[in-house]
Amino acid sequence: MKKDIYKAIAAVTGIFMLVVAFMLVINYFQVREITPLQTEVMETLKSLNENNGENETLQLQIRQLDLLSRKAYFVQEEHQKMGVYLLLAMAAVFVVCLRGYYADVKHIAPKEIDAVDDWLMQSKSRRYLHYIVGSLAVVALIAVAASNPQWFKGEENPAEETLIAEAAPTEEPAPEKVEEQESIATQEAEVTTQDTTTVASIPVQPEAEVKEEAKPVETPAAPAAARVNHHMFRGRNSNGHSSARNIPTVWNLVAGEKVKWLETLTTKQGFSSPVVHNDKIFYTGGDEAGRELYCHDLASGKLLWTLAADGIAGSPATPPQVAGNTGYAAATPATDGKYVCAIFATGDIICSDMDGKRVWAKNLGVPENQYGFVSSLLVWGSSVFVQYDNENIHKIISLDIATGNVRWQKERDTKICWSSPIIATVGGKAQLVLMGNPDVRAYDPSTGEQLWSVGGMGGEVCPSPCSADGVIYAANEYAKLMAINGADGSVLWEAADYLPEVASPVVAGGRVYIATTYGVLAAFDAKTGELKAEKELNMELYSSPMVVEGKIYIIGTNGQVCVLAANDELTMINTFSTGEMTYATPAFMDNTIIVRTLNSLYCITES
Amino acid sequence: MKEKKNSPLKRREFLRMCGTAIAGGSVLAVGAALAGRAKAGKGDIFWQIDPAKCTQCGRCETHCILPVSAVKCIHANRVCGYCDLCGGYYRSNVKELNTAAENMMCPTGAIERKFIEDPYFEYTINEELCNGCGKCVKGCTSFGNGSLYLQIKQDLCVNCNECQIAQVCVSEAISRVDYATAYKLKE
Amino acid sequence: MMKRIFTIVSGVVASATLAAQNRFPKPDFESGYEYPNLQYAVPNEIVWDVADIVMLVALLLSATWAVMKRRKPMIWISVVSVLYFGFLRNGCVCSVGSIQNVVLALVDGTYGLPWNVLALFLLPIVFAFLFGRVFCAGVCPIGALQELVNIKNGRISKPVTMVLGLFPWIYLILTILYAATRSRFLICQFDPFIGIFRLGGDVELLAFGILLLVISVFTGRPFCRFLCPYGALLSLFSAVSVKKVELTKKKCINCELCHNSCPVDAIRAPYANTPQEERREGVKRLLGYMLLMPLLVVSGALMMRASAEGLSRAHKEVRLYDMVTAYEAQAAPEIIPLEVEAFYMKGRTMEELTATKDAIVADYRKYATWAGAMIGLVLAIALMRFSIKRRRETYEIDQSSCVACGRCFEYCPQNRVATKLN
Repeated sequence: MKKDIYKAIAAVTGIFMLVVAFMLVINYFQVREITPLQTEVMETLKSLNENNGENETLQLQIRQLDLLSRKAYFVQEEHQKMGVYLLLAMAAVFVVCLRGYYADVKHIAPKEIDAVDDWLMQSKSRRYLHYIVGSLAVVALIAVAASNPQWFKGEENPAEETLIAEAAPTEEPAPEKVEEQESIATQEAEVTTQDTTTVASIPVQPEAEVKEEAKPVETPAAPAAARVNHHMFRGRNSNGHSSARNIPTVWNLVAGEKVKWLETLTTKQGFSSPVVHNDKIFYTGGDEAGRELYCHDLASGKLLWTLAADGIAGSPATPPQVAGNTGYAAATPATDGKYVCAIFATGDIICSDMDGKRVWAKNLGVPENQYGFVSSLLVWGSSVFVQYDNENIHKIISLDIATGNVRWQKERDTKICWSSPIIATVGGKAQLVLMGNPDVRAYDPSTGEQLWSVGGMGGEVCPSPCSADGVIYAANEYAKLMAINGADGSVLWEAADYLPEVASPVVAGGRVYIATTYGVLAAFDAKTGELKAEKELNMELYSSPMVVEGKIYIIGTNGQVCVLAANDELTMINTFSTGEMTYATPAFMDNTIIVRTLNSLYCITES
Repeated sequence: MKEKKNSPLKRREFLRMCGTAIAGGSVLAVGAALAGRAKAGKGDIFWQIDPAKCTQCGRCETHCILPVSAVKCIHANRVCGYCDLCGGYYRSNVKELNTAAENMMCPTGAIERKFIEDPYFEYTINEELCNGCGKCVKGCTSFGNGSLYLQIKQDLCVNCNECQIAQVCVSEAISRVDYATAYKLKE
Repeated sequence: MMKRIFTIVSGVVASATLAAQNRFPKPDFESGYEYPNLQYAVPNEIVWDVADIVMLVALLLSATWAVMKRRKPMIWISVVSVLYFGFLRNGCVCSVGSIQNVVLALVDGTYGLPWNVLALFLLPIVFAFLFGRVFCAGVCPIGALQELVNIKNGRISKPVTMVLGLFPWIYLILTILYAATRSRFLICQFDPFIGIFRLGGDVELLAFGILLLVISVFTGRPFCRFLCPYGALLSLFSAVSVKKVELTKKKCINCELCHNSCPVDAIRAPYANTPQEERREGVKRLLGYMLLMPLLVVSGALMMRASAEGLSRAHKEVRLYDMVTAYEAQAAPEIIPLEVEAFYMKGRTMEELTATKDAIVADYRKYATWAGAMIGLVLAIALMRFSIKRRRETYEIDQSSCVACGRCFEYCPQNRVATKLN
C-alpha cells in the first residue's frame, strides 16, 4: 500500500519534472537565440530615429518593441527562477519517493564466486590500459608531428629531436650568461651606489634643494657625493639650475681648448636639449619620415644606440604639419636613471631603458598645433608629466614611467601653449606648476588635484616658470612677469620691463633672471620685483639660461656663449664665440658641459 | 631473498606501516609549509572592480555565473553634476529630453530620475532592475563626471574561487580586495 | 537570502576613493537638497568562514563516528551537507577546489592562502589519514548529492572501472599544471555540480551535472569514481590510514551479502590465487613493466613539453598575444577585438607582451614536463598494480576506493544493526 503511494507520487512528479525541464530548455534556447535587451532590430531602429528627423511612426515602433523586449526579459527571468525552484522541489520529492519505494529491496549477490576472478579482471584492465597508452602515444606523436613538420625532414625519431632542440637553447648560452651577469652585477653595483643618493634625494626634495642653495660648501664635502646628473630640460625639476661643480667658464672649439670630444651629428635634426644620466647622453631628432631617441657615450661621444618611435598604435600615418624652426623633436626627453622618455610632435611618447630597449610607447592623441608640439617632459619620482596643451587636446597627464600607465590626467580649459612643466617646492611639498593661457596653475603631482590658478598670462606662452623658496615666477612676452606665492596662489608682485618669448626665466640667489629673445638679460629682485640690472648681450637667444656655481650660462643661436656672475651687476665673466648654431639648453654635470648644436654634440670638461 | 621468510601478509603489513608513516609525515610537512603561507594571506576575500581601470566592455552582464550578474551600477551622488542632459540616462543623440523609449540609455529602465530644482535632476539606480551592462557607465564616463560606475555587489556575489568575469575582463579591472575596501567607491 | 543574516552594513568609508573627472561642477542646491546617504552591504565573510569550518569539522566527526560505530546516519549527514555546503553556501566552500589554491600558494610566494581554504584542504586529508575517506562519505556536498539520489546499484564492468579510475589522477595533474602556471582553476571551471547548487549557470555544465546525477541514480557516484581529483588525493591517504573502515568487527563468514551493496565497487571478494600462469611469467611481466616505467615517464614528459605552447593558450596573456598578433597581421583590420582595444588603450607594448608570453610559455614548458612525467608514472604504476596477484581469504574493503558511505554495514549478518533479509 505504502509502496503504491510512493510509486504514484514518483510517477506524477517524474512526469511533471520532465515537463518543467522541457519548458526550461525551450525557454533557454529561445533566449539564447535573441537577447531581448540587445536586439539588432532595436539598435537599427534607434539609430535610424537619431539620424532622421521627427518620425512618429518610427518612435512608436521603438516604444512598442522596447516594451515587448523588456517584458520578455523580465518575464523570462521570472519564469526561469520559478521553474528552477519548482524543478528542485519536485526532484526532492521524486528522490524521496523512489528511495521509499526501493527501501527494502536489497541487492544480494548471486552465488558465483568464480565470476569475479581477480586475475581475469586485472588482465582485462591491463589490456585496456595497453590500448589507452598505445593510442595516447600515437595521438601524441601525430599531434607533435603535425605541429612541427620540420622535424620530419631529416630525422626519423621526433622524440630525439625534441631532446636536442629543447636542450640546445637552454645549455648554449649558459657560460656566456655567467660572465655577462657578473659584469652586469658589478656595473649595477656601481650604478646603485651612485644612484641611491640622487634617487633618495627625490622624495625629500624640499630640504635637499634648500640645503644645496644655502650651503653649497657642504655638498662637495660629502665624500660619497652623488654624481650630479642632468635628467631633464633645464636640470632637476626643470628649474634652470644645476648643482654641478667645477664647470669651465671658457672653451674654444676651434683650438680644442677643454673640448673632450666633438661629434658631428648624422642623426635626425631636432631642437631638443640633451639630458644626461651617469655615462649616457640622450636627445631626440626627427623628421616627417621618422622620430628617434639617441644615446651617446659620455666618455667618447660615440652614438651608442638609436631607438625609433615607430609602430605605435594611434600614431598618425602622416605626421602633422609643423613649423620648420620647431621640427618634430623639439621636446626634451627626460630620464629617471632607469628609463628615458621622449615625446615627439606626432603625440608619440616612447620609453626606453638605459640600453635602448623600448619599454613602452603610446600615442597621446595627434596634437593640432600650428608650430608643433614642443613641451618637454618632466620626471618626478616615478612619474612622467606631459603638458599636452594643443588646439584640440588640453591636458596634463601623469604617466607611470615604468609602464606608461596613466596615473592621472586632467582636462585643462586653457588655450594652446608651448611651455614645459616644472616642479616647485612649497612648504615642503611638491607642486607641479604649468604655464598656460590665460593662467598659471599648480597641481598636486601625486593626484592631479588642482591647487591654485592665477590668471593674467597671455599671448603665445612658451617660457616655463621657475621657482625658489615657495614662490613661483612666471613670465611671458605680451603679458607680464609675476611672482606667485605657491602656498595660496596670491600674486606677490608683477613687472613688465623685460619679458621672455622663448627662453625660460631662472631664479637664484634672490634674483630672477629674464633673458629676452633679442638678447637682453635682466635681473629682478625676487622679493620685490625691482629691476636690479639689465645687460645687452648682442645676440638672438632661444636656449634657456642656466645657473651653475653662481654663474649664469647663456648660449645664443649664433653660438656666442656668455658667462655672467649671478649678482646685482650681472658682471660678465667671459664671453666668446663657438661658431656653432645652438638652440638647445646645455646639460651640466660635475666638470662637464654637454652642448648640442644644430649639427654637432660636444663635451667640455675641466681637466 | 629476505622477504621470502616472511609471509606475504606480514610483508604487506610492513609496507602499509611504511606508507602510513610517509603519509603522516607528508601531511605534517605540507601542513607546516602551508601554514606559513596562510599567515601571509592579506585577507583579500572579495572580488571588486576598479572603476579607474574599467572600460565598460559589457562582459560583466554576460559572464557572471549568476543568472543576473552580481555587478551593478552604482551612483556617486557627490560626484554627479545633476545634469538635465545626462549621458548615462539619455542616449547620445537624444532629440527630446523625455522618457520615451527611443531616448533612454538603460535597457531595463533601472535609472530613476527626480527633479530637484532648476536645473538639477537626481539620478538613482534601481538595483532590482539593473543587469550590470554598463551602458550608462560608458555614457557617464564619456560625457559626464563619471559618477555612474560598476561595482560587484558583495551581498549578491557568491565569491567564486575564480571570478568568471575576471577571466574575460579586458582591462584587468577585477581583483581581490579585503574587507575594508570591499567597495571601491567614488566620492 | 540567508546571507543577509550575517551581513554587516558597512558605512561608506571605503579607503579606496577614486578621483573622478569633473566636467560638470558640483551643483549649488538652493532648495536644501541633501545628498542621499547610500550604504552598501558587505557580508561578514569571517563569520561565514568560521561557520564553514565548524560545520566541516562537525560533519567529519559525525561521519567518522557513524563509520567507526557502523551506524547509519550517513543519509542525514548527506542531507545537511547538501543543504549547507551545497545550496546555502552555493557549493563554493569546496575542498576539491582548494587543491588549486594550495598549489598556487606553493608556487607563488605572493599569493596569500586564506586560512579557511587551508583548513578545507587539510582537514579531510587528516581525517582520511586517520579514519579513511569519511569526507567523501557524506561531508562533501558533491558526494552527498550523488549518494542521496543513488537508488539502484547497477554495475559497471570491473576492468572498465579500474581503467576509468585513472582519470582522476590525470585530472589532478592537469589541475596542478594549470594552477601552477596561474592560468585558470580547472576544477572550478568544470565543476558539473556548481550549477545545480546555484540553481543556474553555464548550461553545458549544468547538463553534464544533471547527466551525472541521472547516472548516479543507477550506479554509485560516477563523479567521485571517475572524475574527482581530490578523491584521488584522499585515496592515497586512506590506503594507509591509521584506522580502517571495517565491514564488521566480528569474523567474516564469507556470506558475500555485502559484495553487491557497495556503490563504488570497493569490496573485494575472496580470491584463492589459483595459479593460472607460471610464476616466472608473472614475474617477467612485472619486470617488463618496471623497465617500461622510465620510458613511459620520459616520453610522457617529452610529449607534454612539446605541447606546452599549445597548452599555454589557457593563459589569458598568451591568448591576448595571439589576438594582438592576429590583429596586427591583418592588412586592413575592420573589427578590433575588445581585448586588443584595451591592450592599446593601456599603452602596453608588443615587446612587453611578448616577454610576458615567453615567460609564461617557459613556465608551461617546465611544469608541463613534470606533468607529463607524472602522467607516465601514473600509467606505469597502474600497469604494475594490475599485474600483482593477491590472495584474500575473506571479503575485504579496498581502502583506497572505499568512500566510507557505510552501506555495506547493514548487509553484514555479523553486525548488530544488520537488517533482516528475506
